[in-house]
Amino acid sequence: MAVTLFWRRARARLEVLRAARPAARTDHPGARARRELSHVLGQRKLFQKAAPGVMHASIFWGFLVLLPTIVEAMLAAIDRDWTLPYLGHVAWFAFLQDLFATLVVVGVAIAFAIRKIQRPDRFRGSHMEEADRILLTILGIVTTLLLWNASRIALGIPVHPDAAAVAHALSVLFGSGRGTDVAERVFVWSHLLLVLGFLTYLPRSKHLHIITAAPNVYLAKNGPRGYLEPLRIDLESADADVQLGVSVATDLSRKQVLDLFSCTECGRCQEVCPAWNTGKALSPKLLIMDLRDQVANEAPLITAGGAGIVELQPLVPNAVADQVVWDCVTCGACVRECPVDIEHVDTIIDLRRNLVMAESRFPREAETMLRGVETNENPWGQPASARTDWTASLEAIRVLQPGDPPPEVLFWVGCAGAFDERAQQTTKSIARLLTAAGVEFAILGPRERCTGDPARRMGHEYLFQTLAEANVETLNGAGVTKIVASCAHCFNTLANEYPDYGGRYEVVHHTELLSALVAEGRLGPNPAGERGSVTYHDACYLGRHNGRFDAPRDVLRAAGAAAVEMPRNRERAFCCGAGGARMWMEETEGTRINDTRFAEAEATGADTVATACPYCFVMLDDAAKAKGSTVRVADVATLLAESTLAEPGG
Amino acid sequence: MAGAWVFAEVTPDGPHPAAFELLTHARSFDDDPTAIALGPGATAAAADLGAHGAATVYASDDPVFAEHPGRPAAHVLAGLIEAEAPDVVLFAQTYDSRDVAGRLQGCIGSALMGNATSIADPRHARAEIFGGTKIVDVELAGPAPTLILLRPKSIAAEPTGGTARIVPLEAEVPEDERGARIVERHEEAASGPRLEDAKVVLAGGRGLGGPDAFAMLDELANEIGGAAVGASRAAVDAGWVPYSYQIGQTGKTVKPEVYLAAGISGALQHIVGMKGAKRIVAINKDADAPLLAMADLGVVGDLFQVLPALTEEIRRRKGS
Repeated sequence: MAVTLFWRRARARLEVLRAARPAARTDHPGARARRELSHVLGQRKLFQKAAPGVMHASIFWGFLVLLPTIVEAMLAAIDRDWTLPYLGHVAWFAFLQDLFATLVVVGVAIAFAIRKIQRPDRFRGSHMEEADRILLTILGIVTTLLLWNASRIALGIPVHPDAAAVAHALSVLFGSGRGTDVAERVFVWSHLLLVLGFLTYLPRSKHLHIITAAPNVYLAKNGPRGYLEPLRIDLESADADVQLGVSVATDLSRKQVLDLFSCTECGRCQEVCPAWNTGKALSPKLLIMDLRDQVANEAPLITAGGAGIVELQPLVPNAVADQVVWDCVTCGACVRECPVDIEHVDTIIDLRRNLVMAESRFPREAETMLRGVETNENPWGQPASARTDWTASLEAIRVLQPGDPPPEVLFWVGCAGAFDERAQQTTKSIARLLTAAGVEFAILGPRERCTGDPARRMGHEYLFQTLAEANVETLNGAGVTKIVASCAHCFNTLANEYPDYGGRYEVVHHTELLSALVAEGRLGPNPAGERGSVTYHDACYLGRHNGRFDAPRDVLRAAGAAAVEMPRNRERAFCCGAGGARMWMEETEGTRINDTRFAEAEATGADTVATACPYCFVMLDDAAKAKGSTVRVADVATLLAESTLAEPGG
Repeated sequence: MAGAWVFAEVTPDGPHPAAFELLTHARSFDDDPTAIALGPGATAAAADLGAHGAATVYASDDPVFAEHPGRPAAHVLAGLIEAEAPDVVLFAQTYDSRDVAGRLQGCIGSALMGNATSIADPRHARAEIFGGTKIVDVELAGPAPTLILLRPKSIAAEPTGGTARIVPLEAEVPEDERGARIVERHEEAASGPRLEDAKVVLAGGRGLGGPDAFAMLDELANEIGGAAVGASRAAVDAGWVPYSYQIGQTGKTVKPEVYLAAGISGALQHIVGMKGAKRIVAINKDADAPLLAMADLGVVGDLFQVLPALTEEIRRRKGS
């Protein structure tokens, strides 16, 4: 009966999944299987936090080991002397059963200690009572198991008393009389009833993750997390029925729906979210919960194909407010923390895509950026001819003309690097360093366009696609094979997203190229000597999204810097606040993300904050100026240029 | 003589000032231009239109034109054009007139040109593109009349002191030609001229050091008269002035005659919002500030001395 009830409830969820858009997430099964081993069996992401990691692993591994016990209990419930073939007779299984049942008790105790004593903020907004219920049920399941085994030992049933130390110790509670006979029956039945009751409760609770987590991890994104799946909008063909992002529940992909059913409300994402941490409306956890609740409420409608007397309601603003969708900096910290590989950022971008392309509903102040990208192919609406203005103070920089032979390396300057006065310092430093190292490079000059990243992260996929196609045409036409990009966002787009549009190049970030040149001895040594202490701020789109952590640090070392790390560094670095097109939006709620990050950098006591992306540079420099701080903000390249090149940089 | 028509927007305070500019322009190729005024106050506006050169004013005071944006006006214009066959209809490049012109083109299928800065005759007009760096001469083909949207303030309006013949229009706008209805109007309260419209904009940045220093800009704006005070993003982020003051990429875009920046270094994000200013004056104590490089008049100095001195000098000259 319990199994039937479970199946009926689980099928309701399954049908919602089936009604969703298929997700093409089955390539590279090897990589997916490896992730399964590490994230699920190995609990790798859970161990990112020590106590909760031990807590969860105890319960999870206990759950795996104790699965056969359910069958054992079922058999014994019918007849006291029946047991599992083989497993029921061996000492090692009795030992494991006893050990892991005890570990689960310990795990539950840790869980309660965390929830009731430590009370971390990450649980704010989670269903605390539901969690208590679940934990108490788990506790009940293993306690009844231990007591059942103890009573069996007391009754002299051969269950390897020497292997099951805890049950053995507990057996002193029982005599050998009639009372223990009854107790043995009571415990085996209560154990079973708790297990079956739990089974029927599962599909409607957040604990469903014990079923959904494994497939969700398998279907997670392979490769760099900075990559977004394209929409491929074709205006030419009339029958093209492109889904413009996600509006209602049935627009979600299967992976996106599975994400919702996999969330256990642990709040690790919320804890690291720059928006939430600075008092914004967005919490990645609450976003997922709110979407889940609407999808669950609309389940009958969804499985009926979205038709009916009541219509599916748009997810924004019914489940989540507009502001929540725009608060995201797409830094990916939430995705990285999530133990079950929920992809919050991709869903947020899909919601933005619909708001921007179907509804034209987005923060007004970002319009200038979109218009600039659309008409002048850069976010500031500057003339293309000004892209080479920064070269004026330098010795001849080669501008690649149509028909020219391709350079060894194409220097992708980026819009910020070309137009922004502060970012130009970095651009000049890179150009001077490449020249000094004898690298044969050229720039596209006026033929370079915005990569489309700000438009894409804003949700304007069509504008991005237009720019991607145009840039790929230029790059392929010029025979470019290797690109060095200075902006972390350009880097991510060129390296990870342009292959979808036919642009396949070897793309390196300037810190990688500079680090290689230093290693080859083509740059340095360092005549300026020590330069004081420097703290490096990881750009999200270089670090967390693309795993480039060491090259910028190597360059700083070559520049003679004494590196100090911020508390949140490398994969766990805190965003500067400019990603996800937030650079082009106002930040009015709470405190400012760039101020928060700059304060963290300043607290290290470093004289200089080093950046590797123009967005980070401008954001942190603004924060420094607003604070009137004496700490300097400069790009890694500028610091290297200052210490290895004869005249001062700039 | 070409038949030139002017679509004169009617506001509660009389004709939109751009209508006088359109009439002045129309007189360069038609001695007796015609104006069309639709909506409450149209008949009353005819006198002002006549005084700026309109020989004939077609007027209708029907509230339907105020209650439904665009469509009724386009419908009536289309009918009138069919009957009278003018050579050109001029519109001001405003939100409301653009709406009417676009819809009218949908009805009659003529050539429509936006953003014109001057008009030679019904078939030839000029526009400036890329922030005024390129001039484009346009020839309009297709059936008459051509439809041309002229940018406001392209020329100065010249009164003629004439009187217009008023032709009352019996507006009949059927239910299905009315479209969207305006249910509510919301006007944001503001004192002084709007930042985007002001001829002189005084903007303060981080260099002002705090909210109190904005009083110096307010005082100077008062002395100049009709000047508006704005700010850089840094000053707004610091909470010294509200967001409505912000000029730049994520704030307002201004194109005043004179733009005075005090204590603004000139980050790209700010320059984007004010690069269209005709004259730029920058005061900064840092001689390397990028805005000084692009200013017509750059003052390297302490704004706490320069601004009061400037206010004093204006006061003195006004007094004399």
